[in-house]
Amino acid sequence: MTAAAEQGGRGAATARDVGRALRSAESLNAVLHWSQELLDAEGARVDAMAAPGSLAGMPIAVKDNIVTVEQPTTCASRILEGYVSPYTATAVNRLRDAGAIVAAKTNLDEFAMGSSTEHSAWGRVKHPLDPDRVPGGSSGGSAALVAAGVVPAALGSETGGSVRQPASFCGVVGVKPSYGRVSRYGLVAFGSSLDAISVFGRTVDHASRVLAAMSGPDPLDATTVDRPPMRVPEPLPDLRGLRIGLPQEYFPDDLHPGVAAAMERVKDRIRELGAELREVSLPHSAYAVPTYYIVAPAEAAANLARYDGVRYGPRKVGPEGDFRAVYRATRGEGFGPEVRRRILVGTYVLSAGYYDAYYTKAQQARALIADDFRRGFDSGLDFLLTPTTPTPAFRAGEKTEDPVAMYLADIFVCAVNLSGLPALSLPVGRSEGLPVGAQLIAPFFGEERLLAAAATLERVIAADAEVR
Amino acid sequence: MSIGRDDVRHVAKLAELAVPEEELERLVSQLNRIVDYVAQLDRLPAERMVDAFLPGPASVALREDVPGPVPLARPPAELAPEFAEGFFLVPRHGAMEDA
Amino acid sequence: MAWETVIGLEVHVQLRTRTKMFCACRTSFGDPPNSNVCPVCLGLPGALPVPNAEAIRLAARAAMALGCTVHETSVFARKNYFYPDLPKGYQISQFDRPLATGGSVAFESPERGRVEVGITRLHVEEDAGKLLHDRFPAKTAVDLNRAGIPLAEIVSEPDLRSPAEARAYLTTLRQILVYAGVSECSMEQGSLRVDANLSIRRAGDTRLGTKTEVKNMNSFANVERALEAERARQAALVEAGERVHQVTLLFNAGTGQLKPIRSKQESHDYRYFPDPDLPPLVLAPGWIAEQRAALPELPDARRSRLERSFGIPAYDARVITSEAPLAGYFEAVVAAGVEPKTAANWVMGDVMTSFNEAGSFPVPAARLAALVGLVRDGVVSHQAAKRVYGEMAQLSDGDPRAVAERLGLVQVSDQGALAGWVDEVLSAHPAEVARFRGGETKLMGFFVGQVMKRSQGKADPKGVQPVLQTRLK
Repeated sequence: MTAAAEQGGRGAATARDVGRALRSAESLNAVLHWSQELLDAEGARVDAMAAPGSLAGMPIAVKDNIVTVEQPTTCASRILEGYVSPYTATAVNRLRDAGAIVAAKTNLDEFAMGSSTEHSAWGRVKHPLDPDRVPGGSSGGSAALVAAGVVPAALGSETGGSVRQPASFCGVVGVKPSYGRVSRYGLVAFGSSLDAISVFGRTVDHASRVLAAMSGPDPLDATTVDRPPMRVPEPLPDLRGLRIGLPQEYFPDDLHPGVAAAMERVKDRIRELGAELREVSLPHSAYAVPTYYIVAPAEAAANLARYDGVRYGPRKVGPEGDFRAVYRATRGEGFGPEVRRRILVGTYVLSAGYYDAYYTKAQQARALIADDFRRGFDSGLDFLLTPTTPTPAFRAGEKTEDPVAMYLADIFVCAVNLSGLPALSLPVGRSEGLPVGAQLIAPFFGEERLLAAAATLERVIAADAEVR
Repeated sequence: MSIGRDDVRHVAKLAELAVPEEELERLVSQLNRIVDYVAQLDRLPAERMVDAFLPGPASVALREDVPGPVPLARPPAELAPEFAEGFFLVPRHGAMEDA
Repeated sequence: MAWETVIGLEVHVQLRTRTKMFCACRTSFGDPPNSNVCPVCLGLPGALPVPNAEAIRLAARAAMALGCTVHETSVFARKNYFYPDLPKGYQISQFDRPLATGGSVAFESPERGRVEVGITRLHVEEDAGKLLHDRFPAKTAVDLNRAGIPLAEIVSEPDLRSPAEARAYLTTLRQILVYAGVSECSMEQGSLRVDANLSIRRAGDTRLGTKTEVKNMNSFANVERALEAERARQAALVEAGERVHQVTLLFNAGTGQLKPIRSKQESHDYRYFPDPDLPPLVLAPGWIAEQRAALPELPDARRSRLERSFGIPAYDARVITSEAPLAGYFEAVVAAGVEPKTAANWVMGDVMTSFNEAGSFPVPAARLAALVGLVRDGVVSHQAAKRVYGEMAQLSDGDPRAVAERLGLVQVSDQGALAGWVDEVLSAHPAEVARFRGGETKLMGFFVGQVMKRSQGKADPKGVQPVLQTRLK
């Protein structure tokens, strides 16, 4: 321990280390707000705690769509520039109670809408291994910080795969809990029936500990499920007795060869650990992305109606000079193009004459998709295994011209959000230097077993090794 | 279903989003692209009265009618772009009357 | 031209809860602006709604008091529109799965006798904030204390046939809701608001004409005035060969005029969808039964019971039950030993006057019963008792006999004193005595009057007559 670290406790030392690491990682543009002052205050708070708590001073970065009192929350949007929330999210309060240090607020796609973190009002986030590539999104800032070794864990949020996908691109663990497992109170809403605060971890154990500390019902969130909080599971000695399904729709013939090779290796490791692999079909999988791009924008259009320049945030006034001019100018100028597109799509699909054609159909499809998973698990499967993303990280600018091209990046992850299930991405190898992730999906509220199995698999997978 | 310029203008008005005329064309084509893509769901057979699929609790838990302390670390005045004498202020619309 | 008027009313009542519909902020009236607010009712990023159990209870009771079916499952929905008093840019309400449907309200129409108006639905929703347009120049001021207060919206079928009927319906509706204890129902305080829909058609026509919406009426009397003005306006239009257009009109109580709202959004496309932050509201049959059992006795039932149990006339029962506290007071007075018809007369008279003025009962029921006892026992006359009541109403707690004595109103029943006055009167009027003894028995009234005069009103009239009878034999 350095002389400096001996002054003050572990919290103080962590604060200094994290500050140094953040400064050295500045080029990633992964962070929107941090200060040494706040870090030191966090460190001191943790050092003053009577007991270290289950997280014992772990520094955790927080995606900037989760509100905190001490720093701004902008959701990477001009419409919330300078907004400092007068309350803190339940999940962050629980992490602090467990002894964690809030390290920084991280960059994201504006209002969590995107799959590359290229849609931030403050510039894109760079992939830690290749600055020309994207880290994935929307939680790209949190993913990059964990991948760069700045923090061992970070909070992100998922609506359509926004933690698992960047986890796969960046080569870290990404875990989405079951819907209703972690309180959404303080998570800025995008798609309310899909949103879930989720976790990046350097290892499965980091992610498990963070999730366990946050989980449990919250009287301030009526969508939390009334079941006991998750406990950190023990890793299994092996995977004997487990049956893992391989949904054929997630293994197309034209899967990227590096991803395909990585998945073959994973299957080999799983067999070696004693689990049985079984082919299965989730017949409505093709509806997942279109369904998602009806439900999420519809809910978002309503959730983002509150950003009107009346009660908080910066205000612009249009030429007519009345209150509607405030709305139109504030929103027109404050929202970026992707957010505007989604609000317009969402408003359109809910509008008179179109509700049945789109929204009702989407609810129908969603029930069918969720049913596919349930029948799969009911047929005797413990988990499902799929690739997390169809390709490794793509180049910046590659998919920004065609909105639909970007949406297809979520093809393997968003059915899980539609169904409310827990799932994670585990780094399983490299393809031409770029990380590849494998996805494990569990039944509703099955994250303890999921994390136990993932921890077991993690031990035998060479995540940094080239797959071919 | 094809979306025209007027449709986009109408939806923008409903959403209180100013869309500059020069952006309108590109927006029309992008929205058409998206809406055409999601229209794949047309393949599903039509059903009446579908309940929304919500993955969380089956029924809402209610809260007892007990007042709590105001949970704000800073007051509305500090958040507001324009505030006076305890009120949020917005420019007045010509047709508004005290109702 | 014989026009038939068709009216439907939408009534919003604030439910009597301590906290708001979706957050724990207080609902108290008259607090400094924006002091009862929190992340939820301010619509801050990340805030979430959690429904108020008491609001649901009261809404269910209101629905039952109106004869509605309370549905075991109902769904909250978002009603999307932009306005400065609506923090989230949507109101949480209920749309196609409301809490209750299918009730009715029976009342006395001024024109058609007893009428039953159908209640289409009752649902719960949150109130919007308050806007003040004249406090700051060129600005609108927004106060969100009211935003989020629980409302029950009660929609009637278009079964009303005149503005006067609309007023009578509202009076009865209000009475039922106050009896049920679910709302203060005060238009002055804004806890009851009315929007009306009116159309006209030729008498005998079964199709509905184009309806207009009338808003901003701040009393039941103004509802009647506004609807009369609108009916006249529509009739004049149609008689001039023009069409009625679907508009929303604001009533100005000062001028009695209706003014159309400049159309805010062409037509309202509220884009309702189920609120994903709120799972369905599921009410167990046992819980619903509990709320029904907890309903207080409603006006109609109370009126019949008072008639039956106490044998008072229908008119008396109707007046006494017009306000629940009056009926309660009446029953307390009877329980304290007063004969029902006597109690009814007192309650419909002096008691109701002071209740209407003060909103309370200055004389406790037991004290009134004691006062009535004094009349029954001849200690004071009925006239004197009214003066004693008036005095007791000024004091916070007065004993009737003590007050009567202080006012010098205690009657004299002492035989000796009565005999004294009788003798004085008879000796002063010998001619009348002779005429009485000669058969003009109606002179008894004259003698009683003279005794009352000579005793300066203090003689007990009931005791005077027998003494006179004896002396005049």
